[in-house]
Amino acid sequence: MKRHRLTITGWAAAVTLIATAILGILVTPQDVTQKEYSRFLYLHPPMAWVAYLAFGVAALSSVLYLWPRTRREAFDHLALASVEAGVLFTGLVLVTGSMWAEPVWGTYWVWDARLTATALMFVLFLGYLAFRRTGGTKQNIARRSAIVALVSFIDVPIVHFSVLWWNTLHQGPSVLTPGLSAQGVHGSMAWTMLLSFVAFTLLFCWMVGRRTALERLRASAGGSELQEAIAARRAEGTSVEVGA
Amino acid sequence: MTATDLTPSTPPAPTRGAAPHRRRNLAAMVVIAGAVVFLLVKGISGSLNFYETVNEALKQQASLGTSTFRLEGVVKPGSIVATATGASFTLVQGNNHIDVVNTGTPPQLFQGNIPVVVSGHFASKQSSTFVSSQILVKHSSTYIADHPDRVKAQNGTVR
Repeated sequence: MKRHRLTITGWAAAVTLIATAILGILVTPQDVTQKEYSRFLYLHPPMAWVAYLAFGVAALSSVLYLWPRTRREAFDHLALASVEAGVLFTGLVLVTGSMWAEPVWGTYWVWDARLTATALMFVLFLGYLAFRRTGGTKQNIARRSAIVALVSFIDVPIVHFSVLWWNTLHQGPSVLTPGLSAQGVHGSMAWTMLLSFVAFTLLFCWMVGRRTALERLRASAGGSELQEAIAARRAEGTSVEVGA
Repeated sequence: MTATDLTPSTPPAPTRGAAPHRRRNLAAMVVIAGAVVFLLVKGISGSLNFYETVNEALKQQASLGTSTFRLEGVVKPGSIVATATGASFTLVQGNNHIDVVNTGTPPQLFQGNIPVVVSGHFASKQSSTFVSSQILVKHSSTYIADHPDRVKAQNGTVR
């Protein structure tokens, strides 16, 4: 049943992504100032949203893992899968942001609060992934990683609110505004942008679902392999004794 | 080897690659910690506010002097004049304005009535002219469809 839901999510993500691409490239008008460069609107902000969502899910899963009453290995798998997706999308946000910035701002990069905090977010969660590769038991790694995820998550609201708290070259939010509206984006451009948010959210759900399932399989396979190895070793000893 | 000897004939070497693996992890952590420190230092040293607005710059002109900083304002329509080395124009905020003389090629979206951030300094402590070496366009989060039938309302907004 779960697998069935995941397949439907994957297809829904594919359909909405294709629809976003068609609407974003062929149907929607260009912006009066930015011209064709405004089409990054259907790529860059939804990826940033998914990065926030991914790190939010990772932080929540980490809390649930650290809390003794709710501790399940599945929450550790979910946190890992979410951070991997979040790092991927943050990397894409930095790349697409630079591609958009050069023709529009006149530079690929500036050290304003938004861009610096985003780069920091990327490095912090990359550190989470590196941290998981350090030694220790599975439980120790999961517990320490959960703490790293929670500490790293502090930067996420700083990234989002940096454009409201300080003077930045980066523009203010287009959708995740205090009033949660996209009033600054006109007509079909707004609907296409909102569709892109749905499409990338579905893609994230599908990716995390697949990755979590893979991690669950890996964990169970690791356990059974160990049992098989122990059984084989015992059988080897027994057969030698019988032969003697 | 005796019949009851269960010791494997070829001893496993599980720790063979462990030391380089630990060193690699440690190196990765050091690189990431270094990157975090670098980004924090860059963020703090660059100050959290990327620019001063026209009003802020005029208010702080005595203390700013001829030091280099970034200035933000809206390009006054019709004020852009091409010069031999770049362009001169006026930045406005409310009723205040600062004249800018820029050296270098402006970005392709540079035009009147849009906010920009220029990097440079006042020509002198009392001067209202700002000498700039870089123009960055600061676009807003408003996106208006570009089509030939667009009309301007009486209040100045476009529909």
